[in-house]
Amino acid sequence: MTSAVDLDFRPEAPAFDANAALGRRHDRRVAVDDAAGLLAEMDRAGVERALVYAPHAAAFDSAEGNAGLLEAIGDESRLVPQFVCNPTFDDLEATAAQIEAAGVRAVRMVPMLHHYPFRSWVVGEWLEWLSVSGIPLWLPASYEANWHDGGDLDPHAVHETVRQFPDLHVVLCEVHYVQASWAPPLLRSLPNLSIEVSRYVIVDGIARLLEIVGPRRVLYGSRFPEQAIAPQLYHLHRLGLNEADLRAVCGGNLERLLGMSSDG
Amino acid sequence: MDSPVIDFHSHAGCWGRYGVDADCDLYLKVMDAAGVDRSCINCIWFGDARRGNDLVMEYVKRAPDRFIGVAFATPHYPEEAVRELERAVHGLGMAYVKIYPDYFGRPNDDPAYFPIYEWVDEQEMAVMCHATYPFDPPGTTIEGRFTALSERFPNVRWVMAHTAGAVDADAAETARTLPNVYMETCSSRTTLGATEFNVERAGEDKVLYGSDMALMDARQQIAKVVTADIPRRAKEKILGLNAIRLLRLDDPARGGAA
Repeated sequence: MTSAVDLDFRPEAPAFDANAALGRRHDRRVAVDDAAGLLAEMDRAGVERALVYAPHAAAFDSAEGNAGLLEAIGDESRLVPQFVCNPTFDDLEATAAQIEAAGVRAVRMVPMLHHYPFRSWVVGEWLEWLSVSGIPLWLPASYEANWHDGGDLDPHAVHETVRQFPDLHVVLCEVHYVQASWAPPLLRSLPNLSIEVSRYVIVDGIARLLEIVGPRRVLYGSRFPEQAIAPQLYHLHRLGLNEADLRAVCGGNLERLLGMSSDG
Repeated sequence: MDSPVIDFHSHAGCWGRYGVDADCDLYLKVMDAAGVDRSCINCIWFGDARRGNDLVMEYVKRAPDRFIGVAFATPHYPEEAVRELERAVHGLGMAYVKIYPDYFGRPNDDPAYFPIYEWVDEQEMAVMCHATYPFDPPGTTIEGRFTALSERFPNVRWVMAHTAGAVDADAAETARTLPNVYMETCSSRTTLGATEFNVERAGEDKVLYGSDMALMDARQQIAKVVTADIPRRAKEKILGLNAIRLLRLDDPARGGAA
């Protein structure tokens, strides 16, 4: 029985973290806030690469945060930048140019923190551009800050809006068990929606997600530095997945969404 | 790993709000995949404690070598509480007592619990409860709360549910300084460095692994201990050896070896 516990765990599949933050927060000091620290934790957990965004870009100013992110990453190829965009105030043309110049492959929006409804009359132009550009969009189901609770994402708005952009790939991230009531039916109804599972800890929940949407729409993520990198990876290795599905969930699906693999 | 794994914090029964069923087969499947030998299981969902404890026994009877029953008592029915604990512990063989201050609407040091604690004190057993309460007044500290409880009920061993899943200096200091106070690991968060912090501050003998099954998945919850940057021996203690010692599971008079 106890042989199932692996105190010397190392991931068997190449791991690519789909949800990590890099940089200082204004509201509290996090345990790791620079690239060297993140890379050291990735090495300890056996994670090869991470998609990273700047918390400052989410909480305060997207342009300053995104610029700081690129500075923090430098020429470290294991860290893949994700820009935070605020479609209510950011200039689409200028942002698109910055994203192209920096080789950014993914965008994150935080409507509950940036105070806008996730509706096509607000975000439609941006989603059209993302669709045409082949850039996937991350949407956190919640966002926590100690001065302000951003509240939960409106699932109805996501459903009504994302269905209008069938060529856009959207990743629902930071889904807690209190959102397990609506996340599975949302995934079922939107074939272009995937889920990142850093907070999805409800019993047998990931196995049920895999049954609902299949192995190509479930992505490993850590939610670093709020959370440790290795635990959810260990969990995924205890689900009894075959090698191909494990590789897909641990990193292959993220590679594909970011256009970094030959598996279309 | 050769030493036993004991889940100190798990629940039986349905919790439909979160899609949790009273599914013993699923429970055992997840325990097997996680490598959990035995789960300490309680049922705190009912206003009628007897109903919850009987449900626990359905799991225990189904797999007596895998489940350890944990008694539940509610202060809302003080006329029933001690009698039900007598039945659950001495009649059904349950190993310790769980209370749930958040749902009772009373913090764990409310005098309404004192008849329960007096009985547990006489039995020299453990009580597991949350360390804090959503409506604690400013200035409330965990250390102050458990110091007072420990002085009043010196034979109770207190397990502070969820505290080892967070970085909380107050909780860790409480477990370090009070010999009969312990921490437990389950949390929906996998806070970076929490296990390491609590082992360093409270000591490896004071931390117990718990999952919060069947709400949260034991395979995920155990990972925060398994993958922590702590010595192997500390992991073995947290994952089972500390629970064996706390519950005296290696005492043949209390049910034999784990």
